Amino acid sequence: MKQQILWCALVAFLSSCSGPKTEVPAGKKTYFVAFSQSNNAEPYRAAQNELLSRLAKQAGDIRLTMTDGQQDNSKQIAQIETLILQKPDLLIVAPNERAPLTAVMGKAMSAGIPTICLERDIVEPNYTAYIACDNRSIGKMAGEFIVDQLKAKNGAPKGKIVELKGLLGVEAEINRHEGAAEVFKRYPDIKVVHEAVADWLQSKGRERMLEILRAQPEIDAVYGHNDPMAVGAYLAAKELGREKSILFVGVDGLGGPAGGIKKVIDGVLAATFYYPLAVDKAMEIGGRILREPGFKPQKVYTLGSELITPANAAKMYEKLTF
Amino acid sequence: MQSQRRILFQRLQGVLGLLIIILLAVLLSPRSSAGDRIFLQLGNLTDILRQVSEIGVMALGMTFVILTSGIDLSVGSTLALSTSVVALLLTRWTPGVGPELHIWLAVAGALLVSAAVGGLNGLVIANLRIQPFIVTLASMIGVRGLARRLTDNTNIDMGFGGDVSSRFAMAGSGKALVVGLFALLSIVFAALLARTVFGRRVKAIGDNERAALYAGLPIRRTKIFVYTLCGLLSGVAGVLHAAQNHQGNPNAGVSYELDAIAAVVIGGTSLSGGKGSISGTLIGTLITGILTNMLRLNNVDSNTEMMLKAVIILAAVWLQQVRVGSFRIRKA
Repeated sequence: MKQQILWCALVAFLSSCSGPKTEVPAGKKTYFVAFSQSNNAEPYRAAQNELLSRLAKQAGDIRLTMTDGQQDNSKQIAQIETLILQKPDLLIVAPNERAPLTAVMGKAMSAGIPTICLERDIVEPNYTAYIACDNRSIGKMAGEFIVDQLKAKNGAPKGKIVELKGLLGVEAEINRHEGAAEVFKRYPDIKVVHEAVADWLQSKGRERMLEILRAQPEIDAVYGHNDPMAVGAYLAAKELGREKSILFVGVDGLGGPAGGIKKVIDGVLAATFYYPLAVDKAMEIGGRILREPGFKPQKVYTLGSELITPANAAKMYEKLTF
Repeated sequence: MQSQRRILFQRLQGVLGLLIIILLAVLLSPRSSAGDRIFLQLGNLTDILRQVSEIGVMALGMTFVILTSGIDLSVGSTLALSTSVVALLLTRWTPGVGPELHIWLAVAGALLVSAAVGGLNGLVIANLRIQPFIVTLASMIGVRGLARRLTDNTNIDMGFGGDVSSRFAMAGSGKALVVGLFALLSIVFAALLARTVFGRRVKAIGDNERAALYAGLPIRRTKIFVYTLCGLLSGVAGVLHAAQNHQGNPNAGVSYELDAIAAVVIGGTSLSGGKGSISGTLIGTLITGILTNMLRLNNVDSNTEMMLKAVIILAAVWLQQVRVGSFRIRKA
């Protein structure tokens, strides 16, 4: 008896835990959309999931299912294989890495499933449409912003920069670095005096910055490959009373109280660069693929970034907080 | 007489490792523009103490667990849960009390949840007799899931204004408080291990569980208490982590369990239980902390840093084996 109650409780708990699904009234034509997310456990991707669920609910005729690859290529491949068997009307994939996910997306295509590739390119064009976000140009924008600020501060393009890098070898880390490096290279008096790897984490950003501050008596700007690392650097500088003399710049510009835009409003970051969530564009293109029989999507849609400073932060916060 | 000399020798050898690392750090330290060695600046030395304090606090509890010949792999996940709970209670909960009481309640909530995780580990290990490695591996996974579920995978940031959460972050991140708390807990737990019946029981269980059972020691109760303490201390580390980093983060503390275990093992506590000390763990914590600081002040590439750490861990543990072995030979 006791055991039965336990089992019932377990079953009830598990069913209440089932993943995000949107219910659709019976009798209406519905579309089954599957989203293969590479890793739920990142703030940026959590925001993607949130926005996508919201858009699916708004559409009213979409049944959405999401899977979490947990930053593991084999897991994501297995999940997509399972999804293919369920024959979705539309498959959206945020690939964990380029090469490993290419073949399985080809499988989806040859099974006749319209497939949208999100934000990271794959090796072969195994997709109906690719929604691209350009990290290299974001890196360039960030570099140019920092150069402009240094000109204003020091009267000439010169100064000392600290760069906090994301997890080494990840596409965003490579391109956000190279884009900015391309700009800094043009000015001989601008020096990146210290590069540290902080794995996208606020705690590591803070830890690394404390040591950098000890080693570098003069720092003009910190360029974090994402907002949390830049905020971590700010916390370190604040502790040593040096936060006023340093410019903190991040990337991602997520909404919500934990996002980078709030940090621009709070005066922690001088600027952040919006990295598009891309799922809204995917739903727009996907919706047309589903509903308009003659619709031919472009192969690639490239989404632009946006500079967020105190001037437009409040407006962007409203737009990007859901 | 021999055992006394042996203990003295062991202590010396532990301190020797620490001294070698300190010497290296001083010699290799880059100099500031004023010409002094950055490593020796008071600010840097206290930075090190503060940076090791989270792992250090966890390693205190881990020492007790390992002394019972157990292991706790769930401490990193428990830290993440603790940061999440304290941040959620501070930002999403309005208890209708003054800010000071609100902060204390939030901290108490996080500590309670963490201790409960540890207690659950202990209950399962002591009553169902499943190996600690398996039990805490399961809770390492499960607790991480719980933390992510509670927070919907996102960070819960403390404010930068004058609200309760920012007050908490201000109050809880001070160097004096963090290092002071670590020091205080070290003294308390050193005394608990060396001066109390409970401490003797912990060692007796790890040394020979069957003998301890026949001697009528309360094995179950002791084990449950040890794992609860370990969970509680991970919770303390979590609260400090949340305050210092200005956020609750369900993805914090990944692989911290390995750092804590490494600190304990480098400090000379035997993984097979029964032998070890809190002072050893403190030395182990400092060795890894100073090593990290030394490499980073010199801007050593992070991959090289990992490789060097591997060498140091092996070398430190090898040193201990040599000395145990030489004593064995002498005895024979």
